[in-house]
Amino acid sequence: MKVIELKNVEKIYNDSEFKVHAIRGIDLDFEEGEFAAIVGPSGSGKTTLLNMLGGLDKPSAGDIMIGGTHINELKGSKLIDFRLHNIGFVFQSYNLIPVLTAKENVEFIMQMQRRPAAKRLERTRELLEKVGLGDRLNSRPNKLSGGQQQRVAVARALASKPRFILADEPTANLDSVSTENLLDIMEQLNREEKITFIFSTHDARVVKKAKRVITIEDGKVIRDEWKEEDVR
Amino acid sequence: MIWSIGWKNVWRNKARSLVVIVAVILGIFGGVMATGIMQGWIVQRLHDGIHNETSHIQIHHPDFINNEEIQYTIREYDTVACILDTTPEIIAWSPRVQLFAMMQSDWAATGTMLYGVDPVQEKLVSEIHLNIVEGQYFDDDYRMPSMVISSKTAENLKLLNYQVTEEKLDSLLTMEFPKDLIKKVESIGKKRFRTEKDFRKALKNALGQKQFKEYGNTLVDLFSFYRIRSKVTVTLQNKDGRIVYATFRVRGIYKTHNSLFDGMSVFVRKDDLKAYTNLADNEVHEIAVLCTDKETGTRVAKRLSGLIPGNSVLSWRELTPELAMYTDFSNIMGLIYVGIILFALAFGIINTMLMSVLERVKELGMLMAVGMNKKRVFQMIMLESVFLTLTGALIGLVVSGITIEILSHTGINFGVWAEGFEAIGYAAIVYPVVTTGNYISMLLLVIITGIIASVWPARKALKLNPVEALRTD
Ligand SMILES: Nc1ncnc2c1ncn2[C@@H]1O[C@H](COP(=O)(O)OP(=O)(O)OP(=O)(O)O)[C@@H](O)[C@H]1O
Ligand SMILES: [Mg+2]
Repeated sequence: MKVIELKNVEKIYNDSEFKVHAIRGIDLDFEEGEFAAIVGPSGSGKTTLLNMLGGLDKPSAGDIMIGGTHINELKGSKLIDFRLHNIGFVFQSYNLIPVLTAKENVEFIMQMQRRPAAKRLERTRELLEKVGLGDRLNSRPNKLSGGQQQRVAVARALASKPRFILADEPTANLDSVSTENLLDIMEQLNREEKITFIFSTHDARVVKKAKRVITIEDGKVIRDEWKEEDVR
Repeated sequence: MIWSIGWKNVWRNKARSLVVIVAVILGIFGGVMATGIMQGWIVQRLHDGIHNETSHIQIHHPDFINNEEIQYTIREYDTVACILDTTPEIIAWSPRVQLFAMMQSDWAATGTMLYGVDPVQEKLVSEIHLNIVEGQYFDDDYRMPSMVISSKTAENLKLLNYQVTEEKLDSLLTMEFPKDLIKKVESIGKKRFRTEKDFRKALKNALGQKQFKEYGNTLVDLFSFYRIRSKVTVTLQNKDGRIVYATFRVRGIYKTHNSLFDGMSVFVRKDDLKAYTNLADNEVHEIAVLCTDKETGTRVAKRLSGLIPGNSVLSWRELTPELAMYTDFSNIMGLIYVGIILFALAFGIINTMLMSVLERVKELGMLMAVGMNKKRVFQMIMLESVFLTLTGALIGLVVSGITIEILSHTGINFGVWAEGFEAIGYAAIVYPVVTTGNYISMLLLVIITGIIASVWPARKALKLNPVEALRTD
């Protein structure tokens, strides 16, 4: 089943006098349960694309459907609520609220979704255990390593039970061990729980783990390849 | 959890928050003190006004109010007395003969209102007998009729004298004064000064500018004395329009906080006055009535004026409208003080909250990206601002509450300006008064300030675009 459909998406930034044509006509579909990497040189439009997928930015032309909703048409608080309930985000950094513990950071998003307190606590514990932080529930972000912080962010992204998780260069600030570790956890979640991940990266080792690799250059998809084991 | 985030965010930049908190503490402290002092004064002034001067209710002949002439005595005195005696809310009442008279001592003369009172009844209504500073209040019977005057009148009649006596010089030795000072004071000699001004002049000459400035007031007080038992001759017009003279002996000196009232009020026994005025026992000009409390007083006054239509019945509210107004506005005035202080503080709070928002741009962008809606963002920042302000306010209220509690027992002495205050009826020592209602309304005002001060910073946060906020630097 398709979670995301992009039809002829364009993005032009109208910065003062400069016009930047960041995305030049992209058609893409993502299925449920994908583990897809978006790669390409710096400035090719990866972040721009992910932002549009996440409803953080609007395309200049074309259409984006998420689970049957035209998200271009959502505005204001409707759009924010849509993100809250449908999309999980992992950013490169500044993912967590520094004054809250790991547990509270994960719980907070479910509280915004108005889930019952008892369920929240149970799920928070379960998710943090899944990302290997069962013993760091009460640590504040500044007491966690960069890799651990990113894992809390993954747990937080999962907590809201989104349709898919977007991650823009989630490993950019991590050393190789932490990178490996984070990717293993994401892969495991994808394999065992069919969580859909779409992430961008520069890192060849990260690309290797992806089941689908979408290469963009100059705002256009130039390659879109699946690994053998991923039967479509 | 948004509450806990708001609270925790207050402490992210401790130093900056503490500056605001300390400012709020000081502001609240100042506001509470100002309110307390002002209300203390109003309470004192109101108490004095009622218990020394007007009582709760006064009854007069309707014409007496505009024209204080001896023939305007209260109508149907016996009926009025009967009604007053049977009104349960009335604690006591006191009939007074009231005439304008000239007072003359051996050295000076002054015009005042002369009250002929029944000391027993008068003591139940008025507290003048509690304000005796020298002598006594009609306690003993002497052959010559007694008179109680104020220290102000004593001064006017030059019955307040100054003299350096052996006895008082000796008492100086036991106090901690410089040795040469005593010698200098002694050099003034045993001369008697009839006015403060002359004595001050002599004292200044003997001591020199510097020491006079330091010890002058203490010494003036120390060497002053009332010429009690002096004769005062009273000139008045009797019921038949004839000028008569009566001689009294000063037996007591009183002093209230209102020198204007003091200067105008002299008391003698009603019975002693009778022989000169030719007024019958039931011919009086004024009845002062004390009720269980001041609000009851206004109610009873209204009722009485219906019951005794031939006379004028006025409550303390009508007798001293400015006091009634102060009482009614004292609550609001306190809030206005605090309001002004908080208005100034609001700018500091806004500044702090703006800084707090601007250094958290990325975090706020992230929160909005993952689905925190505008209402929640606003709430989070507003709570932070309220907590910041409230922390300072609560500490400030506790600190000033304790201070007020202590000062309400010890009083605050504005001795240096005593004369100025007493000229308008206010005590130099004030016992601050702050009610629970005052504290609660201040607290509410603080919360409102916290909310208002957060509006601009919160709007700044809401204007953030998550994508731009998050874009790595
Ligand atoms: N807000 C903006 N205003 C104007 N131009 C922009 C804006 N954001 C991105 N661009 C431009 O759009 C193009 C695509 O940028 P984008 O950030 O999507 O690239 P990227 O593939 O994520 O690069 P990187 O690998 O460096 O993160 C770039 O030329 C960039 O300069
Ligand atoms: Mg990028």
